[in-house]
Amino acid sequence: MTDSQAAPAAVKILIAGGFGVGKTTLVGSVSEVTPLRTEEYLTRASVGVDSLDGVDTKDTTTVALDFGRITIGPELVVYLFGTPGQERFWFMWNDLVNGALGGVVIADTRRLESSFASIDFFESRRIPFVVAINCFDGVNTRTAAEIRVALDLDPQVPLLVGDVRTRAFGRDVLLALVEHLINQPALV
Amino acid sequence: MSPNWEELEQTVGDDGAQSMVRPYTITRGRTAPERDDLTLITVLTLVSGAAEQPGRRLQPEHRVILARCARQPAAVAELAADLDLPVSVTKILLGDLIALGLLAARAPIAVARAGGGVDLGLLNAVREGLRRL
Repeated sequence: MTDSQAAPAAVKILIAGGFGVGKTTLVGSVSEVTPLRTEEYLTRASVGVDSLDGVDTKDTTTVALDFGRITIGPELVVYLFGTPGQERFWFMWNDLVNGALGGVVIADTRRLESSFASIDFFESRRIPFVVAINCFDGVNTRTAAEIRVALDLDPQVPLLVGDVRTRAFGRDVLLALVEHLINQPALV
Repeated sequence: MSPNWEELEQTVGDDGAQSMVRPYTITRGRTAPERDDLTLITVLTLVSGAAEQPGRRLQPEHRVILARCARQPAAVAELAADLDLPVSVTKILLGDLIALGLLAARAPIAVARAGGGVDLGLLNAVREGLRRL
């Protein structure tokens, strides 16, 4: 066997938002690897899913997430986790949310309501976050001010508008999160 | 870019029942890891000079993990993705290899400092790295 290599330490950032809003796309735009997929079994009992009496006694469910990585240096790696589409699962998955540096909520101006649950989740867990408005093909029908009101965002939460398919926007969103943390250290 | 990822995301939950039996067969029936300190981003490294004890029978999945960590340190989530096994099952297998002294685990960096406040050194390092993207 060869000598062991020094292990880098890791931090993680959560990428959230409604179904189909572009979570994995953003992960892929900045990740040095094609997004990987992993699964976990979670206990269903606390989720409140109804099952037909006598038909389904299964007490676990499988959720999947996609993730990517950015190597900052030989001693530091950032992992980006696209959270499962249904927020009710996150509360069960402590390992996913514990110790996160912060979060990104991706929202689509045509259906902002699909990202409400993600914002509620980060606020309730006191995880600092930024909002990224994804406008594919530059279609954006609302101003940033209107979006803030619609999402009921605190004024200090950064909000960026762009195309999550581009690496530059993905980078800017992550930078906005880190600068948000640096400027408001009381958040963490 | 893979536009179908998010669709796949929706269907995975429905497939759970099919794969319930086999993964825990790999762990010989164990459903919980013996150690609870492994997280999704705990990084595993091959221990220098560690050799498998003769007569000790490892599962094929154990060997895949060792081969992967020999190439490059890897996080729990990456190993689970490589093995195509749920995270909880992967953690049980990793626990075996740590107990055998073949793998070493490095815990994630704590974002909040013990004395309160954030680790600005860490945040500045992440910022510099992101700027190079």
